[in-house]
This record gives sequence, C-alpha cells and structure tokens, in this order.
Amino acid sequence: MTPESVAPGRRRRQGLRLRVTLVFALGGLLVTTVLATATYGLTSRYLVRQRQHTAEQQAYVDARVVRDALSLPGTSDATASLGALELPSGSLAVLSFHGRWYGSGVATGRELLPAQLIDDVVRGQPARQRIEVRGTRYIAMGVPIPAVKAAYFELVPFVELDRTLVVIRNSLLGAAAVTTLGAIIVGLWATRRVLRPLSDASTAAARIAAGDLSTRLDGSSDPDLAPLALAFNDMVDALSQRIDRDARFVSDVSHELRSPLTTLATAVQVLQARREELPERSRLALDLVVDEIARFQHVVDELLELSRADAGVEQLADEPVRLGELVLQAASRLNGGPMVVEIDPLVASKPILADKRRLERVLANLFDNARTHGEGLAAIRVTHRGDTARIEVDDNGPGVPVEQRTAVFERFYRGAASGRRGNDSGAGLGLALVTEHVAAHGGRVWVDDRDDGPGARFVVEIPWRPA
Amino acid sequence: MSPTILVVEDDARIRAALRMALEEEGHSVVEAASGEDALEAFRREPATVVLVDLMLPGMSGYDLCRELRHTSDVPIIIVTARSDTHDVVAGLEAGADDYVTKPFVVKELAARIRSALRRARRPGPDSTTEHFEFGNLEIRPEAGEVRVAGELAQLTKTEFRLLCELAAHAGMVLSREQLLERVWGYDYFGDGRLVDAHVRRLRTKIEPNPAEPDHLVTVRGLGYKLQG
Repeated sequence: MTPESVAPGRRRRQGLRLRVTLVFALGGLLVTTVLATATYGLTSRYLVRQRQHTAEQQAYVDARVVRDALSLPGTSDATASLGALELPSGSLAVLSFHGRWYGSGVATGRELLPAQLIDDVVRGQPARQRIEVRGTRYIAMGVPIPAVKAAYFELVPFVELDRTLVVIRNSLLGAAAVTTLGAIIVGLWATRRVLRPLSDASTAAARIAAGDLSTRLDGSSDPDLAPLALAFNDMVDALSQRIDRDARFVSDVSHELRSPLTTLATAVQVLQARREELPERSRLALDLVVDEIARFQHVVDELLELSRADAGVEQLADEPVRLGELVLQAASRLNGGPMVVEIDPLVASKPILADKRRLERVLANLFDNARTHGEGLAAIRVTHRGDTARIEVDDNGPGVPVEQRTAVFERFYRGAASGRRGNDSGAGLGLALVTEHVAAHGGRVWVDDRDDGPGARFVVEIPWRPA
Repeated sequence: MSPTILVVEDDARIRAALRMALEEEGHSVVEAASGEDALEAFRREPATVVLVDLMLPGMSGYDLCRELRHTSDVPIIIVTARSDTHDVVAGLEAGADDYVTKPFVVKELAARIRSALRRARRPGPDSTTEHFEFGNLEIRPEAGEVRVAGELAQLTKTEFRLLCELAAHAGMVLSREQLLERVWGYDYFGDGRLVDAHVRRLRTKIEPNPAEPDHLVTVRGLGYKLQG
C-alpha cells in the first residue's frame, strides 16, 4: 500500500470518530436540556403555587385578625389593628377602612396595589395578583371584610422563592454541562473501542501489502467481530494461495522447459564440436540455433531465479565475503575494453557477511546490462561509508532518462532501448533480479548519471556487516 | 581402457544427447533409466564415474547415492534441475562428490568428470610418503588409509583427498577457495558449499562428536584447519 492511499483512510476514520462523538455530545445536551427545563418548570410552578397558597391562607388569617380587632365596640384605631399582626419579614399589610388607607410599613402601601385589585376587593370579591415592585416580585392579595366595611390587602414578596429557584436552575445547568461532557467522553471511548478492530485491520492490511502474508487477525477476542476477522483471514488465505500458485506456475513452467533445453543444449554442443565438418549454410544455421538456445536458457534461468526470489524459499546465506575480491573476480571474467577498477583498501581487506552467490549474480547482471545497453563497462568502484558498502558500475552509454530510472528495474522492461536489443540474451529480467538480490541483503539499488561524463551509473548499497 | 560413465537419467532424449556428448569426449557410456536399473548396472560393471539425476521416478537420486555409497567410493556427480541450496546440499550430504545444474554446459560437465577421475586415480597428495597423526586420528596417504582410534574409516576418494590436503598443512587455515582449487581443481566455477558438505561428511567419519569437532575445525570467516 502506498502512503498516499493510507492517508485518506485515516482521515475518514477520524471523521467518523468526530461525528459519532458529536452525536453523543448533542444527544447528551438535548436530553439534559429537556429534562432540566421540565424539572425547572414543574418545580418552579409547584413552589410558586405552594407559596401562593401559604400566602392566601396567611392573608385570610390576618384579615380575620384585623376584622376581629376592628369589630370590637369602640375601636376605630386601624393602625393598631395592623400592628397586632405578625407579618413575615418583607410582607406588607394595607387596610382600607372607612375610606382611609393604612399601612403596616412606613408608607401606606396603597400606591403599590394595582387598581384592578382594589376595584375587585372593594366590590366584595377576594382577589389575587402578582406584581413587581422595584425588581421584587410580590403576591398581592385582597380580602374584603364586609362586616366592618373594610378591605384588607397583603403583599408577600417572592424573594426567598426566587433565591431557591436560582439555586435549582444553577444546579440543573451544572448537571447538564457535566452530562454533556460525560457524553463526549463516552463517545470518544466508545468510538475508540469500536474502531480498534478497524485500525487493527488496517495495520494488518498494510503488513500484508508489505509482503508479510503470515499476518492474520485475531477473531477470538470478540464474538461480534469474529465474522470480520474470519472474512479478512479468508481473504488473506485466498490471496496467499493465489500468489503461491502464480509463483509455482512460473517455477513449474521453467522446470518443464529445462528438460528439452538440456537435450537441445547438449545435442547442439555435439554438433558444434563438428562445426568444421559442416557445409557453410549449415554452419550459419547451427550458429543461429546455438545463440537462440543460449538465449532461451538465459531466460529460463532468470525466470527460475525470480520465481525463487518471489517464493522467498531461499534464505540469505550469511557467509564471509571479501567484496573487493569478488568484484575483481567478476571483472576478470569479462573480456571487454579498458575500464577502471577502484577498490577501497578497507573493503579489500575485511570480509563482510553477505550471500556470495547472490552478489555474484548482481555483479554479473549489472555488467551484462552495461555491455548490452550501456555500450560497455567504463568503471567499477567499491567503497565503504559508515555501515554501508557501495558498489558503482559506470557505463559508456547515453545514460538513463530520469523518467525511466524506476522502470528499468521492473520485470520485462523494454524501454527506448528495445530497438537495439538485437544481440541481447536476456528477457529484461536482469535488473529486476538485481533489485531482488540487493533487497534480500537489506540494501538498495538505483541508477544515476555519471559525475565524470556521459553514461549511466548503477549504484548498489548493502549493509556493512563485518564477518 | 576408456573411463566408463554410468548415466542415470529418466529422460531418454537427455540420455541420448549425453551419450553423444560424453562419447565425443572419449568416455564410454552406460545408461540407466532409474535408480534400480543403475544399481543393477553398477553391480554388473562398476563405472568409473556415476552421473545421477536427482529427480528420478521410483528410487530417488538421493537414495541411489546412499545405496552406492554403501558399497563403493566411486565418484558421484549429481545433476539437478535446480540450483537451490537445499537440493544441492541434500545431494552432497547423501554422498555425492560434485554437482551440475541442468541445462549444463558440456565443457563444464566434462571438466567436472575429469576432476573426479583425477581424484579417483590419485588419492593422496603427490610426493607424500609421510604419515600424519592427530591424537587418535591417523592418516597414511601412501596406503590410502585413515584410522580413528585404530579403526579403519571408510572415506570416499574426495573425502580422503580433502583430509590429506588439510593434514599436509596441519595447523594452517585453508580457505574454501584454496581447498576447491587443490582438491577439486576448480578455480571460479567452484562452490563453497561443496567444501562445506564434504567437511560435514568427513566429520561424521573422523570426529567422536561431529557437532563439536576436535580435529577438523571451522575458522569463522576464513576456512578450515586440521589440528591435533
């Protein structure tokens, strides 16, 4: 999987998490708001009613006290009758008696009473009204006292009740905030919990894409997730079987081709030994056959090597290899034109752990590539930097265009050079094999321009592991 | 008399081609299509070199090598369609002296046969009449004998040559390349695994505990040496 395709997946996952958490938060907020509003409404209505009821009772009781005081013969001191009342703090009593107004407080209090209320009571009708005076809410109540031709009014403030309601409201708001916060936390926890299998699956998928086909999901931890794990594992099984089958197919085909090839190669070598006895035309035909068999053989060898690399059956042989010696030997097998061979003295003297046969193949293929596509080898350099051994192979060709520098390492690559492949013996697998062998060493290979003139420079770097 | 090569190969066409190529090189050829036939043919007329294809119907090439080794130290060259480390090493462990991979180059095969014949003819190092002793290990190159604690050890020609080479340079480390060159006579087409497999086989015959050798020791990164 490429990094580009991982990124959107992650973004989508965070989006889902955010959305679910948001839904949790909004849900929590909504529920608590509704509950709090209802609670507040019901509570305040109940409390207000209670308070009104108490105030009414109180007013009737007080009205009776006033009536009793006024109906005593010879009593006409209305103020004294009001003074006899035991009013709760903040309450005011107002009395209309014989057309005059008396109040329990400093002021008379008549101006506080609504005209409607006074009218009702004067007409002999008990009445009640909520009023607001200078920011304080009151219940104003009027009770007619027909026996002494008086009207008794009482103003009871809501101050305490208001205070209680504020406390209730604040508690409810606090509870709503805490609940919403809780919902967010639960949402985050739940989504992480729910999405963990997804993130496990995406990790596993990435590992499979990277080539680790033994990766499986653990389906035993949660019965709800078992089907997902099962399906995932089945998919990986099918995939790896398919890969195995493909690899085996290439390997089987190559093996099947080897027997006839062996007969052909052996028989044609017998003919070749008698080449001089053949007429001119037969000799030409023989040469063609010999060349083609060699080419055929080369392709089959490369295919087999590649299928083995794909199957991963061959382990890296960790043997001590003198890199300098190896390169010199490989170079000595070439019969090309003049070339430069530079070997770092340290590389020449110290063996490293590597797979000798694979490195020989790497060198042979790079030399072959220089010969067939690079107009011959120009220079070979072996150096050592830190924990990396580096081999450079320069050729005399036109170089590799930047846009083809990855493609040349692909299998069966036939780039712009395909037109000039008349004498080529390979199938375009040589550099692909180089990549496989170098990767098996934990190294890398790439192509660059030469810094000392035209031509391509193939660079192989493998870890420097002292033997 | 020209050397006789016993060719064990189930594919008749390859057999025919090999016969032609080997006769061209001056060898006489006896063909066998299976391991059973090969054992029968070898009993009738012991060959100088046996060429064994590992992939045989019926008795496998590995089993054939082991069977032959019970009675003979004839040089065996295995022919494998693969160059997998596993196949080659298993063949060498079964008693083969050398290997070639299909499809082979006739010249290379001929060179390996020549090398095998050389080893068979001339078991010890040339001018050595010395006799070596390493603790309870006794080597008599001129007599072609190796004794471990007085008991005669059954070595193949190649194993014997390898042991003599190491004995002649007692206490010195010989690299795989040096051994390939001196014992097999190969320069670059040799393979270090040949030496490793022969050393392992040799150890089972001369060491009391092959896993912890007293005499034939590995010098990591360099090669092998023989010590007392």
